[in-house]
Amino acid sequence: MNKSRFILILGVIVTSISQMKAESAAIDFLRSTGKIYSVIAVIVVILIGIGIYLYKIDNKLTKLENQINNEQ
Amino acid sequence: MIKKWWWKALGLILLIYTVIVGMAVPLKPGVTGFEVVRSGVSQEDNILFFTPGSTYTFEIRGYNMNLSAAKTKAWLKLNESGASSDVINPAVSSDAVVVPSSESSGLVTFTLPMKFPTTDDYANLTLVLSNAVDGQAILPQALNLQLTADQKGTDSAWSDAYLSEIDVVDSFRFPYRSVLNETIRNTFFHIPLWFSMFIMLIVSLVYSIRYLRTGHIKDDIYASALVRVSVLFGVLGIITGSLWAKYTWGTFWTTDVKLNMSTVAMLIYVASLILRSSINDVDRRAKISASYNIFAFAALIPLVFVIPRLTDSLHPGNGGNPALGGEDMENTLRAVFYPAIIGFTLVGFWIASLSIRYEMIKDNWLTRRQ
Repeated sequence: MNKSRFILILGVIVTSISQMKAESAAIDFLRSTGKIYSVIAVIVVILIGIGIYLYKIDNKLTKLENQINNEQ
Repeated sequence: MIKKWWWKALGLILLIYTVIVGMAVPLKPGVTGFEVVRSGVSQEDNILFFTPGSTYTFEIRGYNMNLSAAKTKAWLKLNESGASSDVINPAVSSDAVVVPSSESSGLVTFTLPMKFPTTDDYANLTLVLSNAVDGQAILPQALNLQLTADQKGTDSAWSDAYLSEIDVVDSFRFPYRSVLNETIRNTFFHIPLWFSMFIMLIVSLVYSIRYLRTGHIKDDIYASALVRVSVLFGVLGIITGSLWAKYTWGTFWTTDVKLNMSTVAMLIYVASLILRSSINDVDRRAKISASYNIFAFAALIPLVFVIPRLTDSLHPGNGGNPALGGEDMENTLRAVFYPAIIGFTLVGFWIASLSIRYEMIKDNWLTRRQ
């Protein structure tokens, strides 16, 4: 159920992206209004979030490994 | 090594650097429009027949070029092939500087000389703009003319004085390419995904061969985890390529050799994952998936690298298109491109290492249970 909902949301996002007709001749709107920095901030936040997630999994595994080593 | 944290943090830092620098650095100026203005009405494409000796007024539209900030000079440069003058790449300058009508558009008037120093029947002219604030912008093949025999020869209007008058602005900017425009930033994401996928697949191949030689289940765990992450990166590579294609080729997908062959290569690796899940016995599964992995890599090389270069292809680097060393890669791009490759590779190995350690714990636990 969760997986199909996720795929549905992903499909909506992808089709809405395809509606954006970025005119290649247009001046870069996001940069001219200074809003490119908000895009950068969003992506960096996402990357840091993924990094923290990986780090926590890493720690859990280390604890498990230490537990097994101690029991042996 | 697999438990050290420094390379994992380095990978993440490089990725964050890629995003920040890759998205924030502006592009060099470019020319997006160059049209003849005729009695107040802009002309349709290619109907006007340019004749040497006549005067034409053009409307210029620039990108990242502030035409009103400083005096903008314009030249029409004759492309070199067949030029028969003493001067290499001669250019004729505009009658006056560009008259800006807004920050990014302006009018310029050119009087084409009576004679062109070339032996070809066609003259291909490149527009060169330059101002002290933004530097120079180039529009290749801005004007094309047909020449009759008496319109070929030397003319005093042609000179290379423009070479000393062009402004050089020293700032870190990415190159401007007319079709790519801002999407050139995709080189920091789409290509490194494929590079890091390929590196991980090579390492996975090494572990597969090692398993077949030693029989240690640890090698199979390493190989399969790397294949899993490589499939993830490959799928992301295809998706990012497809999005890039939408904005440059106009379509998400096209019947192009490179696209189809790399999809086939990805499907072969996805099949290896399905194959693994269909076998329950650990040793049999390891042996079969190790041999399949070797085959899959042997198929990957010709599919992705060899076949696309043999036929016509839209994709850069294949079918006669210049690859990364050509017009689409510069040292400014490389400053972010190489760290991006390293960053994606390290993060890919980090994700794989988590999967490896989990599988090792499970294997350890299962064997002890016996």
